[in-house]
Amino acid sequence: MLGGFISDLEAGDVFKPVTYVLTAFMASEYAHGVEEAWEWYHSDATPTGRQMRPPTMIHVDKMRILEANCLKERRVSGEKGPHARVHYEYYARQHSPAYVGETLTVSGKITDRYIKRGRTYIDYYLEVRTSDDRLVTTYTDKTLLKYQKDGE
Amino acid sequence: MTAINDIKAKFKTGDVIHGPARVQTPERIEWYDSAMLSAATGGLAQVGINIHTDDEFAKSQGLKAVISDGMMMTGYCSEMMVRNFGMDYLTRGELRTKFIKPVYLKDTVHTLAKVLSTEPGENGTTVYKLDVWCENQDGVKVTDGDAKVTVGAV
Repeated sequence: MLGGFISDLEAGDVFKPVTYVLTAFMASEYAHGVEEAWEWYHSDATPTGRQMRPPTMIHVDKMRILEANCLKERRVSGEKGPHARVHYEYYARQHSPAYVGETLTVSGKITDRYIKRGRTYIDYYLEVRTSDDRLVTTYTDKTLLKYQKDGE
Repeated sequence: MTAINDIKAKFKTGDVIHGPARVQTPERIEWYDSAMLSAATGGLAQVGINIHTDDEFAKSQGLKAVISDGMMMTGYCSEMMVRNFGMDYLTRGELRTKFIKPVYLKDTVHTLAKVLSTEPGENGTTVYKLDVWCENQDGVKVTDGDAKVTVGAV
């Protein structure tokens, strides 16, 4: 169910897309956070002459789309849900770089929700496209909704 | 402005790629959390109390202590892939990471990859498949993964 906590998400939920303009600050700040010293994320001194974002920024896009779709639990705004989630699997396929100044749209859905060894997981599918519909990244993700087992 | 040149990878099956070893300091954990929030908001963001920053909160959630964010390990793996495969990874690369064990404060994380295969692809390309992982100071794998990159002309 959209609009609640992340733990309320169910298989088949389709996120309301999020659109934003990628800034130099976003690319460079995130690159610093993941210790990507490669110059391509910090300036236009790149093979294409344009500053680009680190490919793992798809995870920031996940946070953006959750922020817009799970209104009771918005980590970016500092609002926690009832339980800490633990990310279990990241899988990103790059199709083209995202450049600073481009308008990016993130869309996606919850593809599965299941219990494994007493813990509940959700699976995501997300994709990022530019305003001219160029595919940037496709992404799947498995997240454990609550680390603690019930009753612990 | 002078462009930083691209890289054209040339590895053979069995080659091991070593990334740097990084001690998990509170500063590194804060850098990541702050950067993630800042990139999401577009302005400098402060990190709050969470399982990556506060021992008591981490324990209240069933963890032994504060843990590093798994995306830090993914970032380290991705950085190693960019450093060795350049634009080919950024335009046609795939990376999977699984966070199989917690990474605690003061752990030393070493990032590695091993080339599993190199095969001819379409239109004169070479397709690399790799195991990618992070291990701690005891040699225990904490993040497991794989990667695929198509290198060369399309």
